[in-house]
Amino acid sequence: MKGQLTHLDTDVLAEFRAGLITGRRGARIAAHLAGCDRCTAVSDELTGVSALLAAVPVPAMPDQVARQLDTVLAAAAAQRNDSERARGDSPRDRATSGRPAGNRGFRLVSLRVLAPAAAVVLAAAGYGLSQLAGGPASPAMSPAAAGAAAKSASRANVNAPALAPRAAASAGSERMGPVSFPFVISSTNFLPGTLKQQLEAALRGQAAAGTTQSAPASVRACVSKVAGSADPVLAESAYYRGQPATVIVVSTSKGDTAWIAGAGCSAGRLQPLATVTLPPGMGGP
Amino acid sequence: MPDAGEPWPSDAELLRRHVAGDDGAFGELFRRHRDRLWAVALRTVCDQEEAADALQDAMVSAFRRAADFRGESAVTTWLHRIVVNASLDRLRRRAARPALSAGDEQAFEALVAQDGDPAHATDTRLDVDAALRILPPQQRAALVVVDMLGFSVAEAAVILDTSPGTVKSRCARARARLLPHVAHLRGNRSASESVSPAQGGDK
Repeated sequence: MKGQLTHLDTDVLAEFRAGLITGRRGARIAAHLAGCDRCTAVSDELTGVSALLAAVPVPAMPDQVARQLDTVLAAAAAQRNDSERARGDSPRDRATSGRPAGNRGFRLVSLRVLAPAAAVVLAAAGYGLSQLAGGPASPAMSPAAAGAAAKSASRANVNAPALAPRAAASAGSERMGPVSFPFVISSTNFLPGTLKQQLEAALRGQAAAGTTQSAPASVRACVSKVAGSADPVLAESAYYRGQPATVIVVSTSKGDTAWIAGAGCSAGRLQPLATVTLPPGMGGP
Repeated sequence: MPDAGEPWPSDAELLRRHVAGDDGAFGELFRRHRDRLWAVALRTVCDQEEAADALQDAMVSAFRRAADFRGESAVTTWLHRIVVNASLDRLRRRAARPALSAGDEQAFEALVAQDGDPAHATDTRLDVDAALRILPPQQRAALVVVDMLGFSVAEAAVILDTSPGTVKSRCARARARLLPHVAHLRGNRSASESVSPAQGGDK
C-alpha cells in the first residue's frame, strides 16, 4: 500500500507532525512518509522551521522603551496609593471597596507561616519603582558590612519595664488603647540578601538586652495599625536598603509575624517590600 | 522556602506583595521578564513603536488586575497572555495598515513579484522578521509563543486564550506557510533535527 498516496501537502505534513492527525489517516501518512523521500524531506524542513525560530535570539528591550515603562508603572503606583489614601485604608474600608478582605498591606505575610515561625515584611515609604526597575543603584552594604552593622547596633536603654517577647506572647493580655512593647533604635541596615540573619540578630539582641525605651507616638500608631489586636513582640527603628524603616514583630494566635514599615506607616500608607520567614524559635528565649 | 537555584522572591511572591501594596514589587517582576515580554509584543505587532504602546497597555492592565490572578498558571504565562491580548488588540485597531501586517500573503507576494521573478514569488527568500509578517496575526502569535519563546502547547493555550488543539493547528499552518520563505535559512540538517520544540505537539 505504500506510495499509493500522492505526495502530501505541506499543511497536512505540518498538522501530522503537530499530532493533529491520528487514527487511520495518521497511519496512512506515516506509512507514506516511511517510503517517500520527498515528503520526508519536507517534513524535516518543517522541523527546521521550528528550529530556526527557536534559534532567533530574544531581542533586548530598548532602553527607551524600558524607561518609558518604568515611568508608566511608577505613575500607576502613585495613582493607586492616592486612590487608596482617599478611600481610607482600614481593612474594613478595603473590604467594602471590593478588594479581598484581609488581602492588604499589613497582611502581606499571608504566607505559610508556621507557628511559631516569624515572617518579616519590609516596607519603606516612598520607595521609588525606578530604583528597582533598573534605575540608578541605591547604595548597598556588603553582607559583611551589614553583619557588622547589626552587631554594633546601638540600643537605647531607659527605665522601661523589660518585656521578654515570649512572655508577652504567652500572656495573651488584651489590648486596650496604647500598646506596651519593646522598642529599640538601631542603625541596622536590613538588606534583602541578609534579611534572615539580620532579623535573627535583632531578635536575639532584644532578648539578651531585655530593656527598652518608650516608643514615640508615630511608632506606636504604626504598631497599632500593623498589629491590630495582636501582641507586638518587638519594634525597631532601623533601615532597609538605606531608607528609614520600622521593624515590627507581632504575635498572633497563628504564630509570629513581622512587618517592616516606613515613615508613611503611621500616616496610613504601608508599602511592604520583602518577606522572609524565620525558623521557629526566633521570637525569643 | 525557595528551591535551590530559584530566584527569591519568586514571581508569585512578588505578585502577592504587589497586590498587598508593595510599590516596588511589580517593577521587580516586570524587570525579570521584560525582554521576553518585549519579544512577544514586538514579534506579534511587527512594529517597534506599536509594540511599545501595546506593552505599556499590557503592563498597566496587569498592574491593576493583579488581584485577579489566582495561580491557575505561572505568573509569566499570565503576563504573556496580557501582552498578547494587548498586541492583538492593537493590530485589530490598526485597520489602515498595509496588507503586509494583516497577513495578506497574496498581496505581499504580488508586491514582491514586482521586483523579483513572478514565477518564484511564493518562494521569495525572507528573513525571519519579514517572514513572520506574512502570517495572519493569530498564527503569528501562536508561532512566536511556541516556537520562538518555547512555551508548551498547554501554556500557549492559556496565553492565546484558546484550546491546545487550536494552538497546534495555528502553529502547524504557520510553519507550513513560512516554509518556502525560510527554507534557505536553515542550518545544517543535523542541527535542525536536534531541536524541535513542538515536535509531536503533545506537550
